[in-house]
Amino acid sequence: MSASRSGENSDDTVRIGILSTAHLHAEAYANQLESIDGATLVGVADTDDSRGRTFAASHGVDLLEPSSLLEAVDAVAVCAPNAEHRTWAERAAEAGVHVLSEKPLAPEVTDARAIVDACEAAGVRLGVAMPLRFSLPVRKAKAELEAGVVGALQNITGTNRGRMPGGWFVDPDAAGGGAVMDHTVHIVDVVHWLTGERVEAVYVETATRFHDIRVEDVNLLSMTLADGTQFSLDGSWSKPETWDFWGDATLSLVGTDATVEVDCFAQKLKHTDSNEDGTGIDSIYWGDDPNGGLIEDFVEAAREDRPPETTGQEGVEAVAVVEAAYESADRGEVVEVDYRREPSS
Amino acid sequence: MTQVGIVGSGFMAETHANAYGAIDDATVAAIASPNTADAFVRRSGLDATTYRSAEALMDNAGVDVVDVCSPTPTHRPVVEAAAERGIDVFCEKPIAASLEDAHAISNAADGAGISLMIGHVLRFFPQYERINGVVSDGGVGAPGVARARRLAPFPDWGSDDWYADRDQSGGVLVDLAIHDLDFLRWAIGDVDRVFARRSVWERGEHGHVVLRFENGAVGYVEASWGLPSGHELTSSFEIAGDGGLLELDSDDTTVETMTEGGAQTATSPVCSDGYRRQLEAFLESIRSGTEPPVTAADAIETLRLSIAANRSAEENRPVALEEVVA
Repeated sequence: MSASRSGENSDDTVRIGILSTAHLHAEAYANQLESIDGATLVGVADTDDSRGRTFAASHGVDLLEPSSLLEAVDAVAVCAPNAEHRTWAERAAEAGVHVLSEKPLAPEVTDARAIVDACEAAGVRLGVAMPLRFSLPVRKAKAELEAGVVGALQNITGTNRGRMPGGWFVDPDAAGGGAVMDHTVHIVDVVHWLTGERVEAVYVETATRFHDIRVEDVNLLSMTLADGTQFSLDGSWSKPETWDFWGDATLSLVGTDATVEVDCFAQKLKHTDSNEDGTGIDSIYWGDDPNGGLIEDFVEAAREDRPPETTGQEGVEAVAVVEAAYESADRGEVVEVDYRREPSS
Repeated sequence: MTQVGIVGSGFMAETHANAYGAIDDATVAAIASPNTADAFVRRSGLDATTYRSAEALMDNAGVDVVDVCSPTPTHRPVVEAAAERGIDVFCEKPIAASLEDAHAISNAADGAGISLMIGHVLRFFPQYERINGVVSDGGVGAPGVARARRLAPFPDWGSDDWYADRDQSGGVLVDLAIHDLDFLRWAIGDVDRVFARRSVWERGEHGHVVLRFENGAVGYVEASWGLPSGHELTSSFEIAGDGGLLELDSDDTTVETMTEGGAQTATSPVCSDGYRRQLEAFLESIRSGTEPPVTAADAIETLRLSIAANRSAEENRPVALEEVVA
């Protein structure tokens, strides 16, 4: 139980609200907030009353009008469908509230930049939910890279596969796309972070092969970084519903001196549930939850008024790669990523 | 008893010699290699005569079959010499480094009416044969994405370092990626276009190929000569379709013996490995007078994928297979 609700509120406690519970991660963030000191979940606002009320009730908080919630908090997590991020984030910025946006920051660079601009203008901190930066296996790989173990980096191979998420994720208006939109930014952001380089050029093959949906479920990217390192990423929704886990996040770093292979979610139990209504074979992740680090960092950033680990600008850069990928899919050729900063309005 | 003459005395010649050792009705009767045939025979304990050239072997050893395990650029002259003499040929992959040489090899064999099989051995590995079986039985439904990785150290065992000469070996996309490119073509079907990237450095090369199949599926093949030397080859394979998922990892240690100072592992012991199975299939096709299971035409189709991938990497654009003609 957090400090404020146990009646020991101190000035240090960061009051957090959740704006929209459309994204599953709202649940994960609320759980993290309940387990850490110095932060409290104050309430939620949602465009869908019944969804918001159910969520609020299960976490012992209130469903509030957005204006009331924003008055009562220091910071918010925006867990809305991608296309609604901008509206919610701008509203929070206007209210002087720090923002953690679910990824991607927005479906298009223009909207992503508008969010950055709004937060800058309002003097609030903006972070993007990139939990893999807090994955301990990724951090270990970063230490290897920084120690010079791999020599000159030549190739990066990433995977971030998953199940087809359904719901608004497969609605092109709400999500802005399919698997490319959903599963490109995690690994791209982590590669930007690990290498200090940006993706320069993108070629993609997309297809809809697994499900009867209006968006792509196959997402195979072939990229280069600015320093010439080649970088491939499979971000397909290719894991069957009956697979034993939600998906994966892996990285392989090939350098002139060493190869480093990283599996962010290798720490798993294999569970066979043979009860009458059992779920069969499932894998249960037991490693440290990267969402824990993400939420702790954001709470601390809000308290100390410093930039969160993944900034809005870095969020824009990941969206620029997604935009280049969709352009590549349209044109059937290699597309250079456009990082130029243009006015957002 | 089929008398086999092996051309070459390197790593693959040794692998084939070992495989023949387990085949009852074939024997390695002769080895041809410019300088190291005698040393090879001594080392492997074969009862075989030695020659300094493939031609000398063919003219003097009286073999029924020539097995070509010499460097890629020698494939064409050796197969042509065998065809002239009417001797059946088993030839290691890749069939050649260029389509011109590959077609010359195919034409020579056809013209002479000899039997010619190319060693796309993955098709004979028990695990890959099972994958193909599951896929063709609809076990994953319609294929959506296939993914193959094959990572190895730089092949420093080639005579005169011929692997390092990309004109001779074709580099990692021709020499190594071709295993998985062939397997995917076999398991999924013809390819419409490829996009590839390749990185070459001192004693290293790494590449990846994104494939679009004619049936709409997408494939990914990654091949590396970038592991530090001394490491075992590692590979993985995965294919997802609208009706299932199949995953293979090469880390298949079955026996691990832990001793002071280290561990010894036994991976995938099988009575008959892929090399033996492909050679048995070839010998059987000769005996029965049927077409070998992997023909020159198959190997040429696969080589086109590697060549398209190299072209794509050079020109930084997707390359349609129809662009790649001899």
